[in-house]
Amino acid sequence: MRKNSISIIVMLLWSIHSIFAQTKEITGKVTDAKDGTPIVGATVKAKGFNTSTATGQDGNFKISVDNKAQSLEISYIGFNRLVVQVTGKPIAVQLQQSDKSLTEVVVVGYGKALKKDVTGSISRLGSKDVENFPAPSFESSIQGKAPGVVVSSGSGKLGQAIQINIRGISSISASSQPLYVIDGLPATTGSMSDGTNDATNPLADINPNDIESVEILKDASSAAIYGARAANGVVLITTKKGKEGKKTILSLDLSHGISNPARKLSFLNAKQYVGLLEQSKINDATYDIANNVSGFATYADALDFYKNDPYSGYQRVLDQFSLGTDWKNGAVNSDWQKALFHKDAPTNQVNLSATGGNDKTRFFISGFYNTQDAIVINNKFSRYGTRFNIDHNASDKLIFGLNLAVNRSQLDRITNDDAFSTPGQLVAQLPISPFIDPSTGLPNKQTLYPSGIYDALYDFDKQVTFRTLGNAYANYKILPSLSFQTELGADILNLSQIAFAGKESQDGAGIGKGSTVITQSVSLNTNNYFTYSPTINDNNKLNVVAGMSYLQNNNEHTYAQGEKYPSDAVKNLAGATSITGASTTQDKYTFLSYFLRANYTLFGKFLFSVSDRIDGSSRFGPTSKYGNFPAVSAGWILSDENFLKNSNTLSFLKLRASYGLTGNSEIGEQQFRSLYSVANYPGLPGFTPTQLANPNLKWEKSKQTDIGLNFGFFKNRITGELDYYKKHTSDLLLNTNIPLTTGYATIYQNAGTLDNSGVEFAITSRNVDGRNFKWTTSFNIAYNKNKVGDINGQVIESNDGLQRAVQGYAVGSFYMQKFMGVDKQTGDALYLGKDGKNTSDYTLAVRQVVGKYTPNYTGGFTNTFSYKGLDLSAFFYFLTGNNIYNAAGRFMSDGFYNGFDNQTTDILKGWTKPGDITNVPRTGYNFGSGASNSSRWLYKGDYLRLKNVTFGYSLPKSLIAALNISSARFYVSGNNLLTFTKYPGDPEVNTNVVNNIAGGEDFYTIPQAKTFTFGLNIKF
Amino acid sequence: MKKLLNILIITSLLFFAASCSKKLDVLPQNYATADLIKSSSDVEALIFGGYTQLQDYGAFGQEFLMVPDLLASDSQLVWVGTYSQYKDIRNKKIVSSNSVVTHIWGNGYNAINIANTVLDKIILVDSSKKDLLEGEARFIRATIYFELVGLYGKPYADGNAATNLGVPLVLLPTYAYDAVKNKPARATVKEVYNLVIADLLIAINKLPEKNTDSRATSYSAKAILSRVYLNMGDYTNAALKANGIIDSAKFSLASTYDVAFNNNSNSPEDIFAVQQSTQSNAGGNSLATFYAPQALGRGDAQIDNNFKSIFDPNDFRVSFITEGYSISGANGIYTNKWALFYKAIPVARLAEMYLTRGEANLAAGTQVGALPLDDINFVRARSGAAALNSVTQIDFAAERFRELAFEGDRYWTKKRLQLNIDGLGFDDNKLILPIPQREMDANNNLKQNTGY
Repeated sequence: MRKNSISIIVMLLWSIHSIFAQTKEITGKVTDAKDGTPIVGATVKAKGFNTSTATGQDGNFKISVDNKAQSLEISYIGFNRLVVQVTGKPIAVQLQQSDKSLTEVVVVGYGKALKKDVTGSISRLGSKDVENFPAPSFESSIQGKAPGVVVSSGSGKLGQAIQINIRGISSISASSQPLYVIDGLPATTGSMSDGTNDATNPLADINPNDIESVEILKDASSAAIYGARAANGVVLITTKKGKEGKKTILSLDLSHGISNPARKLSFLNAKQYVGLLEQSKINDATYDIANNVSGFATYADALDFYKNDPYSGYQRVLDQFSLGTDWKNGAVNSDWQKALFHKDAPTNQVNLSATGGNDKTRFFISGFYNTQDAIVINNKFSRYGTRFNIDHNASDKLIFGLNLAVNRSQLDRITNDDAFSTPGQLVAQLPISPFIDPSTGLPNKQTLYPSGIYDALYDFDKQVTFRTLGNAYANYKILPSLSFQTELGADILNLSQIAFAGKESQDGAGIGKGSTVITQSVSLNTNNYFTYSPTINDNNKLNVVAGMSYLQNNNEHTYAQGEKYPSDAVKNLAGATSITGASTTQDKYTFLSYFLRANYTLFGKFLFSVSDRIDGSSRFGPTSKYGNFPAVSAGWILSDENFLKNSNTLSFLKLRASYGLTGNSEIGEQQFRSLYSVANYPGLPGFTPTQLANPNLKWEKSKQTDIGLNFGFFKNRITGELDYYKKHTSDLLLNTNIPLTTGYATIYQNAGTLDNSGVEFAITSRNVDGRNFKWTTSFNIAYNKNKVGDINGQVIESNDGLQRAVQGYAVGSFYMQKFMGVDKQTGDALYLGKDGKNTSDYTLAVRQVVGKYTPNYTGGFTNTFSYKGLDLSAFFYFLTGNNIYNAAGRFMSDGFYNGFDNQTTDILKGWTKPGDITNVPRTGYNFGSGASNSSRWLYKGDYLRLKNVTFGYSLPKSLIAALNISSARFYVSGNNLLTFTKYPGDPEVNTNVVNNIAGGEDFYTIPQAKTFTFGLNIKF
Repeated sequence: MKKLLNILIITSLLFFAASCSKKLDVLPQNYATADLIKSSSDVEALIFGGYTQLQDYGAFGQEFLMVPDLLASDSQLVWVGTYSQYKDIRNKKIVSSNSVVTHIWGNGYNAINIANTVLDKIILVDSSKKDLLEGEARFIRATIYFELVGLYGKPYADGNAATNLGVPLVLLPTYAYDAVKNKPARATVKEVYNLVIADLLIAINKLPEKNTDSRATSYSAKAILSRVYLNMGDYTNAALKANGIIDSAKFSLASTYDVAFNNNSNSPEDIFAVQQSTQSNAGGNSLATFYAPQALGRGDAQIDNNFKSIFDPNDFRVSFITEGYSISGANGIYTNKWALFYKAIPVARLAEMYLTRGEANLAAGTQVGALPLDDINFVRARSGAAALNSVTQIDFAAERFRELAFEGDRYWTKKRLQLNIDGLGFDDNKLILPIPQREMDANNNLKQNTGY
């Protein structure tokens, strides 16, 4: 009611004003030219005057204008602006829907631009693409939508970091992740939780439903305005702004989903397991006799030994782990893989927002609450928060506003893939092991490896993050053509993590262990810039942006760990009677930047842009603190030329080219200095040298050329774009190995080069665009070739040594012994030897590049149909040319050589006797073959996945009107419904999330979720 | 008004930018920079850092004990765990990229660099501490070089020490990386031994007889030097050094065998031991991690039942074991020597000095300090083993296998006495570690060991 009284006052004031100004009253109605439906909230303005109003519920308007007013200007988002003459009679206005391709606006660094005029390469996603997606973080929804942007969300665990590579991996030792800028504020994206577990994702603190658009700046010309931080591309996230309108629009989104694993591996059942053990015992005995290893007199003696020996015998495994159950007759047949999954894991999302305002003040407010259970046990993510975005016109000249989001998220974690206690490793347990110990009636703890189910009863790891993201701005129009914008933003992240392993669990080691981590990361950022856009004439348009920005991040990290708990009663560190470690560390970095950009348009069709940014950073030494990052680009809208203007087929064609320099400095702090760290030998506080100085350390540079075109056919029914790019990265910030005899292992040096080149293509066709039936098809595909240049012979490899950067190959090539099959006479695994011949001696096999984890082609294919209130869309994602290595193969598919782990079913095809033709070597705990890392477990990683199918129904207008709401839509959607791949497990896994060199490795990694969601969106 | 505002905006912007520029100089908050190592106590802090490197799992924290024992497993030690880098060492199927092999090397040279830095900066040290710090630096450097040359080079006993390759001798600190100078070639085994002896002789002179916080003493250096001489077959000197320690009466055998292990600080028989505490230890990789059974440890390193057969039934040492399970489900027996975390790790015990003196006297035909038979029986008597009536050098070796089991001695004793290990000749290529592959890649002046 208060609002009403305000409007009454406003109206009163207006009427007083009109009395003095001699006004006339004009009425009219605004409708959609297409179907005659009234347009609600269209702006009606007296041309040349400050008077304006908005159309009401029925499209009608009434406006009092100055007597001198000649015409009215009517505008509405998505429609062409129309100017009508004032005649004195009621005016019927029919607005034409605008051609989106001409008016579409994209957010660029420090400003906005018409997509038509953009000379760089930018992919844009709207709110529809990112909202209501059944994943914690919005990046997942980019996958397959933006060509050249490869999104890998390592596993089906929740809250994990997500790796995004824009136009290939452009660094080896520095980060290859893009810069994320939220409403002008560079966001904290690095993992803040404890370093012993997987990296987590601070971007999950952003409510995807608050996002208006995501712009991905891919080429140098669009990204170079972010200079030294832009070599990996820039992701601009713009949150929803308040929209002026007579009515405040309330929007409610509700959804509920259930998730299950998208794909599983196939493991042996109890009968198969016992059978395979039996066969392996025979294999060992046969091998021993044949090669006279132990000198057994008879085959029977050998067989007896391998059956009953306490170390090498098979019998004890079955007796010990069946816990007295009758394994001979299959009394127990446990599917341990099933036990690691949380069946029908629920997801619930509630999102409520309100947007509205008038010509003075506009707001967007939202609140949300999500809970999500992972498909794996003990892993949960929940969050709630609110956002408040406001813009206020203080005067004709001054606008200020605030974007503020406050969130809390909680992640209940499981241990990393390498821990015995992680549920993913339950697959190693034996199918003859019962879930419940018959003697105690409790979960079985006498399993081959410590049971993750058992640990799950006693252990937890809970991290809570409070996140405040706020950015205030003021924009002052100094002259009509010159404005000054100042922004001050803060990204405050507080994380506290408590982990506990009870005495009973394996990780608790019988004494109980606990730890706590508290991290506070505070980024302060200010942007201050002038925008100069003089009106010269219609043929010459100029837009200049010049300014500076300063960013400071302080990160304070405190951790403590303790052990020896009296019981599980007190689970935080207050219960630990022995503190085994505690520390506080502080890190800080700063960036000071100056930037300039000028866009010039000649005759509306020749587009030029130059930009430059100078960045200074605390990350480099005094001689090389500053870097300079220029870029140029040009475009030509051919379709505006006379020779194409009248073409019926071609409606839009723009050629563009750009070239520029961007930088990378993401190597962490203080890498250029000599450092001594504190050593804590008991009683003797000391120093140890930890880092050698390289005072000349400087930015890593990427030079990128981009040539592209945007096209539209048949009145832009078919639109698309094509880009070719070449990115050459030099002065790589390489963490080079130096001889350990120096006392140091590595030193950061600017050495080596890396190349990425590729092609991106995207096309959208409105196949059918009828009044009732619509059908749109979108397709995009990107090709990238990544090649390591001269890196001075440096060997830079992953921690597990299975992947490395090798000159002439892609970063992250799999580098290992090449498996050549099985010797059909002996059953030995064969490898490619140094002499080019096959060898069964693993130590003589030569390590070589056998594959890579980065794809050649990635893309997406979407079909959207709508008929009256029904809508249906289907989205496929594909990726080819990559490999996946099952790093757990040497335990789960090794034929028992490395332990008695349950095996995948392909091992049933193992070699048993001379003449057998198979690809699975001889099994056996003692004399099995082929159990070391090799390309034996390297698979083609190509896949095609039906990522999403959504079916929606919107209530008809008659019903909506009766219910007194604006719109209502029900939908059901499915994610990861179908997968086509040659990889035996889930192809979308990566145990080393966010790493340039290590990728595409499966190590008991949790597969992606297949999710069904039921949802409802109502607008009031 | 408008103009004023414009001027205000621009000047404040310039002022702001200028003040930001200074903010680009950010000093590290968790580390000391090199220019802060400038006083006597800073150099002392560096030598303390050297002790931390000795405590690291790449040195006495674990690998200097466990890796030789895995190499000389000889039906004594079984690896039942999933860590293939240790399994490969035990099975003599080591690849040059083995992470354990790399870490021992890297940690060793880290300690050497610290020692070299201390020796270089000794001028900064107060005169009252100069000798002490120099002695400690030389003790640490020599001890590490001795271990490295034994693991990465052929045994001294094979007679070709003057030509066999040892490890690179780096005697100067690294303050800045020089891609030419910092690529040393391997010195010969003899050259490394010469440095070790020279360093230890100086250390014996400079180190005090007593030191605080279990820091090195002149006896620590003597104990290592007695080992060096023993490995060279210089029995006369080995006996002399061992005797010097025994005669000092500063040390005594622990009352019972078990008392010599799992102590919070040095036991009475520890001549030198690496200290650990709850907050300063070899970390997640440590002797207890692998030697202690579930649930405390992983129990990956099991004792083979054959181990029991080398003892008298009455010998207390045979019962110093525990039954248990490994993390991969295998049941078996475990030594009690490394049953607990955070305990002191003996590097040189008095019992070893008796065995060294006895054996060296026997081999050299001397009687420094005592009769060989008395020495061996003195050690045996503590554990209730029957006294021997006569003794040979092989008896001394066998006694070392009993007394010093799982302390990393077996590998050295077998090699110096030219005894087979796991069916391989003492000088077999497979019985030394490869030069780490990453080191071969980073330094083209290195030559790989034969067989790798």
